[in-house]
Amino acid sequence: MIEQFGRAGFLLIFAIAFPLIPIAASVALGVFRIRPRKPDPIKSSVYECGMVPVGDALVRYNVRYYLFALLFVVFDVEAVFLYPWAVAYRALGVYAFVEALIFIAILFVGYVYAWRKRAMEWI
Amino acid sequence: MNFDYTLFIPEFMLGGLAALVVALDLFMPQLRKSWLPYVAATGLAITAGVSLAWVNKQTNFAGIVSIDNYTTYFRVFFMLIAAVVCLASGRLVEDQLRHPGEYFGIIILSTIGAIGMAAARELMTAYLSLELLSFSLYILVSFAKFDARSNEAGLKYLLLGAFSSAMFLYGLSLIYGVTGSTYYGDIASALSRGTHDFSFALLMALVLIIAGLGFKVAAVPFHMWTPDAYEGAPIAITAYLSTTSKAAGFALLLRLFGGAFQVVHDDWSWMIAGVAAASMILGNLVALQQHNIKRLMAYSSIGQIGYLLMGVAGLSHNTASALVLHLTGYMVTNLALFVVIIAWYNLTGKEEIVDFRGMRERAPLLAGALAGALFSLAGLPLFAGFVTKFILFQAATDQGYYWLAGIGVVTSVISLYYYLQVMREAFVSQPAEGERKLQVPYVMQGLTVALMAGVFYVGLYPANLFSVIDNATRFLFV
Repeated sequence: MIEQFGRAGFLLIFAIAFPLIPIAASVALGVFRIRPRKPDPIKSSVYECGMVPVGDALVRYNVRYYLFALLFVVFDVEAVFLYPWAVAYRALGVYAFVEALIFIAILFVGYVYAWRKRAMEWI
Repeated sequence: MNFDYTLFIPEFMLGGLAALVVALDLFMPQLRKSWLPYVAATGLAITAGVSLAWVNKQTNFAGIVSIDNYTTYFRVFFMLIAAVVCLASGRLVEDQLRHPGEYFGIIILSTIGAIGMAAARELMTAYLSLELLSFSLYILVSFAKFDARSNEAGLKYLLLGAFSSAMFLYGLSLIYGVTGSTYYGDIASALSRGTHDFSFALLMALVLIIAGLGFKVAAVPFHMWTPDAYEGAPIAITAYLSTTSKAAGFALLLRLFGGAFQVVHDDWSWMIAGVAAASMILGNLVALQQHNIKRLMAYSSIGQIGYLLMGVAGLSHNTASALVLHLTGYMVTNLALFVVIIAWYNLTGKEEIVDFRGMRERAPLLAGALAGALFSLAGLPLFAGFVTKFILFQAATDQGYYWLAGIGVVTSVISLYYYLQVMREAFVSQPAEGERKLQVPYVMQGLTVALMAGVFYVGLYPANLFSVIDNATRFLFV
């Protein structure tokens, strides 16, 4: 059993070394003056997919988004479960159909609850 | 494989009841104020009656959940506890908390988790049930959402609870790794074939499982969350924490260690014995300095956990029965005491021990029940605490744990001191000027009388109950 943990340990060492090697190489090349060093404001700014960055990344998000995120997760998980079921529908048969209905019914209860609690209104 | 869904009828009924309570709160706002606790309690009592249909039947669902007398006993037990807590928290919820539907609904859902812990014969089912109970309790502890203490308690409980769940899960995964199965029976047969190849992994797994469950039942040295969570939680939830949460932990502990780990008893009994000794000593000694009744009850419960763990250390059919008997007596006593505290808190709004002064003049019934419950907790004769503790200590000495029983006797005497201090305030101290007699609501009076009757029933005539429990714990070691 130890050998199997050893393989995982090898992966761990590799995973730590992998990002460290380029950084170390960059520093070493700079020290030995092989890498040119010509910074300018555009080069040293944050890379935002080519856009000019606006403002600070550490802004406060309104807590209201949290409710929407939570509701999104509910329906996201529903889609994740229903896709494989829909693909394999013919093979699974009636039993899985009833199970999927029960699953949807449970989610529906949560949906009605969120609706009645006015979680979907922008207060 | 037996896929008989009718075995879960009580759990389905509880799920429906939880949905009903929430729906009543959502769709019938004119009704919700004072009726919800009665709806919840009635539903729980009916479901407890329905679950009696499985008495003396031994069956299981696909090997993962076992429906036998042990499960039935804890089904009824947990549902009745939840019903009492629902009834007792009626006024509290109305006056101080919002969202009564969610409050009672979550209590009912947590009962399903507790039942699952008692019934599970498979590691993942046990873990999921444990999480259902824990998640419900995290929400309930922080239910007074505009009270900073309650928020703090909920956060501490959540962080430490998640940490302990992770440890427990890691222990379970190691057990799966060395035995190749998550079913208790298969684990036991794999372990009985010899543990030389993986003795260290087994030791680590047992340490992690005991630490994880130790957090859940609040045994020393894993007790740090208890005083804060007890103090910050709404007072009815403190009662619920100290009863169902603990009892479910022990139900799982007995099922798991009896069913899966009994064959390697020598590998873990010393750990449990050490934890039991530390809990008895530290819980009872620190309780001496408390001045808030909730913190006092927290440390007193840690001490009581020590007595109960004594029964796990020398696990056998006899000690398991003694443990469940003491657990039952302790839970009834604890509920009686908490009903008194809740009633007093509702009337006066205070929870320090010195605020109990003059209870004898102002509310004689509550004062009498307080005295009875405290005597029972300390273990005086006539009350439940004496006879159950006696049977438990006797069962532990039969297994050779004389030193544990000795510590138990000494710390019981110490505990008398701080229990009597509460009584001194209630009986000897005079009420302040202008404080008149209080009218205790009839519901609280009825609950107090019923629970005190339970305390005396267990204390004076335990033979009947003991034979029921003895019949239930037989199924632990199959």
